[in-house]
Amino acid sequence: MKMLLAATALLATTGLAQADKLDDIIASGTLRCAVVLDFPPMGFRDESNNPQGFDVDYCNDLAAALGVTAEIVETPFPERIPALMSGRVDVGVASTSDTLERAKTVGFSVPYFAFEMAVTANEKSGVTSFDTMKGKVVGAVAGTYEAIALEEQVKAWGEGEFRPYQTQADVFLALSQGQLDATVSTSTVAQANVKSGNYAGVQVVGKAPFDTDYVALFTNREEYGLINFLNLFVNQQVRTGRYEELYGKWVGGEVPNLTVPNAYR
Amino acid sequence: MFSYTFQWKQAFAKLPLMLDGALVTIELALLSMAIGIVLAVVLTGFRLSRIRPLVAIVTTWVEIARNTPALFQIYIAHFGVASFGLHLSPYVSLLIGITFNNAGYLAENFRGALKAIPDTQTRAARSLGMNPIQAFVHVVLPQMLRIAFLPMTNQMVWAILMTSLGVTVGMNFDLYGVTQDLNALTFRTFELFALAAVIFYVMTKIVQIGARLIAARLFRY
Amino acid sequence: MFETALTTKDLIFLAQGAGMTLVVTAIAVVLGTILGIIFGIFRFQVGPWWAAPLTFLLDVFRSIPLLIQLVLANAFLGMVLKLKLSGFSVACGVLTLYTAAYCAEIVRGAVGAVPPTTRRAARSLGMTWTQDMAYIVLPLATRVALPSWIGLALGVMKDSALVYIVQVTELLKSTQILITRLQEPLLLLLICGAFYFVISFPIARFGGYLEKRWSND
Repeated sequence: MKMLLAATALLATTGLAQADKLDDIIASGTLRCAVVLDFPPMGFRDESNNPQGFDVDYCNDLAAALGVTAEIVETPFPERIPALMSGRVDVGVASTSDTLERAKTVGFSVPYFAFEMAVTANEKSGVTSFDTMKGKVVGAVAGTYEAIALEEQVKAWGEGEFRPYQTQADVFLALSQGQLDATVSTSTVAQANVKSGNYAGVQVVGKAPFDTDYVALFTNREEYGLINFLNLFVNQQVRTGRYEELYGKWVGGEVPNLTVPNAYR
Repeated sequence: MFSYTFQWKQAFAKLPLMLDGALVTIELALLSMAIGIVLAVVLTGFRLSRIRPLVAIVTTWVEIARNTPALFQIYIAHFGVASFGLHLSPYVSLLIGITFNNAGYLAENFRGALKAIPDTQTRAARSLGMNPIQAFVHVVLPQMLRIAFLPMTNQMVWAILMTSLGVTVGMNFDLYGVTQDLNALTFRTFELFALAAVIFYVMTKIVQIGARLIAARLFRY
Repeated sequence: MFETALTTKDLIFLAQGAGMTLVVTAIAVVLGTILGIIFGIFRFQVGPWWAAPLTFLLDVFRSIPLLIQLVLANAFLGMVLKLKLSGFSVACGVLTLYTAAYCAEIVRGAVGAVPPTTRRAARSLGMTWTQDMAYIVLPLATRVALPSWIGLALGVMKDSALVYIVQVTELLKSTQILITRLQEPLLLLLICGAFYFVISFPIARFGGYLEKRWSND
């Protein structure tokens, strides 16, 4: 009898090991999403400190599509991939740019959102456009697309200083305190933060000439089944008008195109 | 056995960058120790002076340094003081944070060391015509520093370890900051941080062995 | 004095963070102390040569920034071994070993401070090793170790501020979350600092008092 139990247990474990992540999520009944919660309007906390925002809604939609309940796991920007790799989350819905360097480590879906980059400056800094940032103290969130691009730009200018902070909140805090003269962030984030009225003396002064920042959902590189599902899910969100609806709810304005002209993905 | 593929080559390719960062870390630790020791000596002098306001300064400093997290002290040195319009670069904020912490702990160590120095020595020095400050500087101080040598070594090790907290105030060219930047680019978290850990280990060992050699020279009689 | 948007809800949120700090600290200190006592006595008992591997291992925990220990443990357990551990478990595990490493050092020193003649006298009275440890070494070594141990426990509480890196929302992290929303860094940081201080200061003073009292006789 004991032998039989052991054998069944063994079979059960090996059975589980063969099931892929998509099966695991459905079986567990919970979808754990990595979401960055100091990144309004994509992810933030309301007055009751509950998670809100585009990414939060998107995760809930994804969970609904899978027929499971969503669990939002707050992850700061630098911790998104470690959280996934350590199995603490199943999927990242965390405004993550789909760079080639990162694709060596994680698997990306097709883009589910696209950001324009904007320059936000402290009024006293004298920064009025991207080019006037030359020689100033600028900063961005460590590990983001715009931080990597901005740091390279500062190096290319050969003057000024670049400072990466751990969170978007720290960047805007430093900006309103005047510790930073300007920052480059996604325009949606810049608008939301300036509009919030939390940061005195801070204004969006123009666009940054970086490429459009396409962001994608991500999961483990080898989980083709799940990546396939995510791709279809992103497509369905656009098809059914839900993408447009969410965009209107959280961001507003012209809905960005998620496909690159003249190229497949 | 592991389904994870290690990519050590990618990490080793970044070694020169990380070693540059390690130099900054060492520089920060040394500076914070040098300033910290001077401040701690001054604080100890304040404490010995028995002048009320001076003693109050020492007590406040030492107790805050010892009873709040170092991370908190560094965060205050950057975002807290900026609320008063004082803008410090990440490097300076980190240096101030660590130095504040060092001085607090060292002042406490010095107090312990002072207990081992008989009061009669000060009185003897005074009777030789030295004023209180001379007596402190020429008689008490050298012995105090010698007795507190081991705690000072430990504090130096902590200073090295504390530099890793600079990332919270935007520091990106010390060892931890460099490692985190590289991690953001490549996501080879384990390999990069393992390498950083080894470098930190070697640095602390060098400090400890170096201190032992210096101690052997200082304390041979 | 302060115009503040801080609500009762936010204070409860902060209190939850503080609770997390205390829980993580309590777990790490209790487990770490037990491990530390075992390691410390083992090191004292077998001598420096046989204990060398353990000594080295424990030394590593004292020579690498806690932040890196947490990141590495997290990456190793999760990415390499694919264990699905919560950030809370990783934080408690790392802090426990971190505590144990320092505690072993304290225990070894304290046991070593018990005069060997006293112990030999005990053994010659017919006490077993266990009896000697329980009735002679334990009371004497505790006197030496307790003040340093209190310092260690408080140190662990302060260092637990770093577990935010494995997504544990403790006091400092909850403070940062509120700063994000309320934009009142100074007030919130002061509240946070005051909390640590209020817990740590009396206990540290008590430790100092014990040290003074016990060192005189």
